[in-house]
Amino acid sequence: MRATVLIVDDHAGFRAGARRMLEAEGWDVVGEAVDGASGVDAARSLTPDVVLLDLNLPDASGLELVTTLPASAAVVLTSTHEEEELDDLARERGARGFLPKSSLSGASLAAIIAAG
Amino acid sequence: MTTDATTSTQADNAALTAVLAAALDAVITMDGTGRVLSFNPAAERTFGYRAADAVGRDMADLIVPPDLRDAHRRGLSRHLAGADPVVLDQRIEITGMRADGSEFPLELTVTRIAAEQPLFVGYLRDISDRRRAEAELKASRARLVTASYEARRRIERDLHDGAQQHLVMLSMTLRLVRAQTPDDSPLAELVDQAIRELGEATAELRELARGIHPAVLTQGGLRPALRALTRRMPVPVDLTDIPDGRWGAAVEATAYFVVAEALTNVARYADAQQASVSVREEDGKLVVCVSDDGRGGADVNAGSGLSGLRDRLDALGGTLEIDSPPGGGTRLLAEVPCES
Repeated sequence: MRATVLIVDDHAGFRAGARRMLEAEGWDVVGEAVDGASGVDAARSLTPDVVLLDLNLPDASGLELVTTLPASAAVVLTSTHEEEELDDLARERGARGFLPKSSLSGASLAAIIAAG
Repeated sequence: MTTDATTSTQADNAALTAVLAAALDAVITMDGTGRVLSFNPAAERTFGYRAADAVGRDMADLIVPPDLRDAHRRGLSRHLAGADPVVLDQRIEITGMRADGSEFPLELTVTRIAAEQPLFVGYLRDISDRRRAEAELKASRARLVTASYEARRRIERDLHDGAQQHLVMLSMTLRLVRAQTPDDSPLAELVDQAIRELGEATAELRELARGIHPAVLTQGGLRPALRALTRRMPVPVDLTDIPDGRWGAAVEATAYFVVAEALTNVARYADAQQASVSVREEDGKLVVCVSDDGRGGADVNAGSGLSGLRDRLDALGGTLEIDSPPGGGTRLLAEVPCES
């Protein structure tokens, strides 16, 4: 069975691009959300394996949202920022890791989950 | 006394009266018991008493706020008993009181007239307007610095939300195109080249955005931001005691840019083997120390970097000190008020 992923990002272009890229590499994109509140709702109802969560959402910081998402989902934070320290911060907050948007691919997302 | 001498004394008195009447400063004379002997028109305007009502009264009761009167009287007694004068013949700033009981800042010089009986003359000036202007200037400088940090953060955010997002989208699209292009296609090499160049453009833009305002500072605060900064430095940097707390955006940005500027100078000029950075919170201030074992001789007035930093710190009520003896390394100490 394909791994399921929920994309939470306020940029429609990124959501569409990420969906195409992940689906092309075998992921099952089960939903998209545009902000923190709808992201948390979607994560609860869709119970994805992975939540790809933007760091800067209109209503919240992705870092602050990690603990409000279902524990069953592996959370990977993403952003156009690329500081190594964001990976430390993400892990400190309980996320599986941080993946810069410029490096996003099905394989790189799978690698973070596997390394978890 | 001769008629000439009498005329001359009368002329002197008239001149003195005219000087006191025209003086912009309040001039009050007082005897050794603290009684008011004269009260010029400026004193009337400043304190709200008519001279006729003030003369003969105890000066402390008239113009000294109640909680300062004892100190005033003790000082006068000590002086009359032979102690060295503490306040005579120098400019001091104290608090005065008007007839309506309102208090205000004033500057004062008291001088003792050489006479058989002790006689003192006080020159007093209401400095409320100056104090208000100083406070407004200070607040406005702090607002400007804070606004400049906010503008930098906004520019960084706009770059992040705008150009950087579009470049990331483009990169994803190109990578999808590449994934669907056979390796032996003549297009494959072109797409690879486009991806490489796009990567370089993205990296340059990211460096620019980070220099304007590091996102990790907004997201995680000083500790991760300084860790990221020192990791990029060509000189090994020992990072100790960085507190994990969060402060106002202007405080964090000021502390961050102090370290960034100092470490840039270390890398460029110090020829150092090692640098160290520490930050601690002490008495409502963030105390930032950056030191190195390099050649020393740094001058805060030589480059715009350090003097600009000092201006920003000064505007926020902070300080910047540099100890940099030639051959003895450099130690930069900055204090940033946490309430900035």
